[in-house]
Amino acid sequence: MIPTHAATLPTTARPALLATAGLARRRLAYASLCAGLAAIAAIGLLALSGWFLTAAALAGSAGVATAMGFNYLIPSAAIRLLAIVRTLSRYGERLLSHKVALEGMADLRGSLFDKLAAQDSRTAPDTSPGEASNRLIDDVEALEDLVIRQPARHAAAVSALVSLVLVAFGGWRALLFLAAMMAGLPFLFRRISERLTRTPAEAAAAALGDLRKGYVELASARAEIAAYSLADQAIAQLEPSASAFDKARADLFRAEALQGALLSIYGGLCVAGVLLLARESAPMVALAMLATASAVEAMGGLSRSLLRRAALEAGLRRIASLNALDAALQEPVSAAAAPLAFGTHHVPTGARLAITGPSGSGKTRVLLALAGMQQPVADLSMDATPLASLPAWRLNSQFALSPQDAPMLIGTVADNLRLARSGVTEAQMWEALKVAQLDQRIARSEAGLDTPVSEGGGVLSGGERKRLSLARALLAERPWLLLDEPSEGLDAATEAALVESLRRWLDRTGTGLVLVSHRKAPLTLCGETIDVTDLA
Amino acid sequence: MHLKAVKLYLHGLLNLIYVKFARALIPGAWLVDIAGAVLFAWGVASGVGAVASHAALALPAAWILCGVMLRAVATCTVDRIAVASAQAASRTRRADLWHRLLGGRLARLISSGESANLALDHSTAIENRDQRFSPIRINAVVGPLVVALVVAPASWVAAAIMLGTLVPFTLGMILAGTASRRAAERQLAALGALSGLFVDRVTHLPLIRHFGAETRIGRQVRAATGEVAHRTVAVLRTAFLSNAVLEFFSALSIALVAVYCGFSLLGLLPFPAPEKLTLVPAFFVLAMAPEFYLPMRRLAAAYHEKQLGEAAEQALAPFAAEPETYGQDGDPDGAAGGSAVSDNAGPAPFDGLHVERLVLAFPGLAVGPLDFDLESSDLAALSGPTGIGKTSTLAAIAGQLAPSSGSISSRAGTPLAGDAAAWAAQRPLLMTGTLGHNLALAAPQATEAEILAVAQRVGLGPVLARRGGLAMPIDHAGSGLSGGERRRISLARAILSARPLILCDEPTADLDEDSATGIIALLRELASERCILVATHDPALIRAARQEIAL
Repeated sequence: MIPTHAATLPTTARPALLATAGLARRRLAYASLCAGLAAIAAIGLLALSGWFLTAAALAGSAGVATAMGFNYLIPSAAIRLLAIVRTLSRYGERLLSHKVALEGMADLRGSLFDKLAAQDSRTAPDTSPGEASNRLIDDVEALEDLVIRQPARHAAAVSALVSLVLVAFGGWRALLFLAAMMAGLPFLFRRISERLTRTPAEAAAAALGDLRKGYVELASARAEIAAYSLADQAIAQLEPSASAFDKARADLFRAEALQGALLSIYGGLCVAGVLLLARESAPMVALAMLATASAVEAMGGLSRSLLRRAALEAGLRRIASLNALDAALQEPVSAAAAPLAFGTHHVPTGARLAITGPSGSGKTRVLLALAGMQQPVADLSMDATPLASLPAWRLNSQFALSPQDAPMLIGTVADNLRLARSGVTEAQMWEALKVAQLDQRIARSEAGLDTPVSEGGGVLSGGERKRLSLARALLAERPWLLLDEPSEGLDAATEAALVESLRRWLDRTGTGLVLVSHRKAPLTLCGETIDVTDLA
Repeated sequence: MHLKAVKLYLHGLLNLIYVKFARALIPGAWLVDIAGAVLFAWGVASGVGAVASHAALALPAAWILCGVMLRAVATCTVDRIAVASAQAASRTRRADLWHRLLGGRLARLISSGESANLALDHSTAIENRDQRFSPIRINAVVGPLVVALVVAPASWVAAAIMLGTLVPFTLGMILAGTASRRAAERQLAALGALSGLFVDRVTHLPLIRHFGAETRIGRQVRAATGEVAHRTVAVLRTAFLSNAVLEFFSALSIALVAVYCGFSLLGLLPFPAPEKLTLVPAFFVLAMAPEFYLPMRRLAAAYHEKQLGEAAEQALAPFAAEPETYGQDGDPDGAAGGSAVSDNAGPAPFDGLHVERLVLAFPGLAVGPLDFDLESSDLAALSGPTGIGKTSTLAAIAGQLAPSSGSISSRAGTPLAGDAAAWAAQRPLLMTGTLGHNLALAAPQATEAEILAVAQRVGLGPVLARRGGLAMPIDHAGSGLSGGERRRISLARAILSARPLILCDEPTADLDEDSATGIIALLRELASERCILVATHDPALIRAARQEIAL
């Protein structure tokens, strides 16, 4: 039916995804029940009104006696009841479907996080942090939207059935006709959605990715662009992807409108067909026509969700593949120190080694490779085994890194220190802060260890974050400490104090050190140096 | 250059006219939509009438089909116009915003990630609002009235019933809406931080894995996402009340119309009949009844887009207008020429820099008050640890950042010309093209010989020799260029721009000693002809400077 492999994947992936998200059909059942009830009430309200009105007109014109004999109490009460049922069940549907989707997606986020966390940083699918994580977040939101729409899909099916039951009052010809039309609608509109939206949806996502990448590059060169008034030239560089983005989005919007228009024409065809084919009394034909009209309208929910599905397919596929990852987690264990080898140069446990080399020669990469964050490019080994063939948890048990950019989780100083290992006490935190020459600064801060740390600033300066990152690495108590420019941004006096306290800490704990620094003072910690250019 | 400006202007003008004109067509398209609804309702009603009187059904069926076709055309037209005008407005807004974010003067410095968020995501959110919500709004106001007007000739009582439900509906919306919305907005803002936790933790996965904190952070993420879901549901409980009100009155108006028409046709109204109803007009009224609340239901469906769009507008508001400027104004072309200083007889020639009581105070940043003077040829170092505000101070002097107070002027006290300052960045802007083109970005009229001379002077000689001279191709990522070479490119660009003041951001950071020494020597040499202010924490560079300004 649908030839491409890509098109069939999400249909099979979706139930698995929903199941992972704790969204077994049972949990959506109440929402679907409400949705179905709302659909029945909506169709019933209009159909019954039409029947009542027509029957009343015929009875009224047949004379006073017939009019008096007409049972108006039940239909008129039913109409009012249906109005109330429609309101309440719609409210229930909305609330319940959101509740299930929100709670289910919270679980899914948790389980996706666990699965991603269990991966090896060197090969993980989220290796380019910014873009991949943004995409993951967008994808989960899109899936959430689909789940919210799920009951509307069930309601569409209920509507179709209810309308068929009601149209049966209009005779078998009308029934057969409408059954064929209703059965054909999902297939027809799935085809239309596929055709109209797949390409623009993918083009829009791709163009937005390009645009963001290009824009971020320009934004980081903002000072120059502003100084030399180069904004026109710079923006002109973005023009192709901006145009592609606009065009794809316009196509997507138009596809949506076109699908709505086609649905409305389809509804018209159904109603006209029922009118022409019904062979019953006027009240029954009225009932059948209005039921048909409002059922096709309810099918709009299905067609819109088909449209979104087609647009979101790539995202659903991405989540499905992440969700299929193995979540088995090997936590680092406290291990005996292992000796290292840099090329032919052997480094015993507890040694202090500086890595030197001109800028851009890959010193930081050596540290990241040891830390299990990047594939090694240099010839490195641990315990006589090449780094690349060691599992990440073995590396993580040996090394504690304080990276050059001192990344911090959003949270407090204590949150970030607790990251180092489980069971860190406050006393240990203060001790590590003291070694990192940051204890007085944190003590001065009103909130102490609860001082907030955030992505772009917070109250800590760049140099202070750097020392916080150092304190975190110390707390991890691994056999090797990896430091990347630990004294960057410090004045000479603080730097000297930091180097001295680090020396004492290293002496006391017997921890090994691999250091990258272009400053003289920290280099005095190291007994030996290795030129990174010799490792290539 | 001039022709381009005229073209741009005309393009903008046409765009503006198109947006205004096209938007004016939207109410017309909605009227066509209602006309379609009328045809459809008339087809259904006359069809029922024809069945009752055993008349031909072809004509009613034709009405029905004509009606839906008309509606299809109308909704497609509305959408087409909405897309075109929303995108046209978006292009204008984007051009403005991007200019300001990338090249304008800002009230505070922002990270490139935040800049991209403002420039792309927020701008798209506003476009979505213009696209999905705005075109419906006019219909929500006019649509119900037009429907009542159309229904009135068939049954003025039914029209009155419909309009009558508007009163309690409005009251209900006010009651359900205002109070709960305020609470919801407050609550949702607080939730934003909590949901940001997931984003943050996913971004920091490599670090979390490195410290073996997967399980602990995983628990935290689960707790936070669970909390977000739980609290959001609590908010929605009240937020959906207004939808329930809308739903109730839309159902009620249908029920009331049906019951009134039925009883009226039966002749059993408990009060004297105000009008004489027959089947076809009565059925027409019933078929039109759902149309009365339809525009408002459409509006409610697009309400989320409106909220997101408004939030985005609020976030963009601080960047909507340029803060009070000196120098660096919005002139798009004028300042680009490096020889502009000598061309313009305008402001007095640069005689040194005078900074007085300069204060920068933003969240997370406090600089100053700073006072210092620089000669017209000088080398001064702005020192202090990372994050203390050195780059922000340079940006303020370059006129890219509005200082909180204080003044920046030439020594004679006149404001700095917009093109007085050159900027040598740590990672220069690189555009796809040749090295020569990139070096001369700030001086497009420079001759090849001039460019070559400057390139040799800053020490790019070896690269030129190695990779094919000025014609060496460069991609925008600058693949194959080392940190030191990038630094030299930005210095060459600054020299070529012929500007008297050169601001250098961390010219030696992350460089090996040899490269750093080379750059320092070059800066010292340049200081005999230009005024150079470097932001640095490199002791060697600070020693080389004639003056240290410690932050």
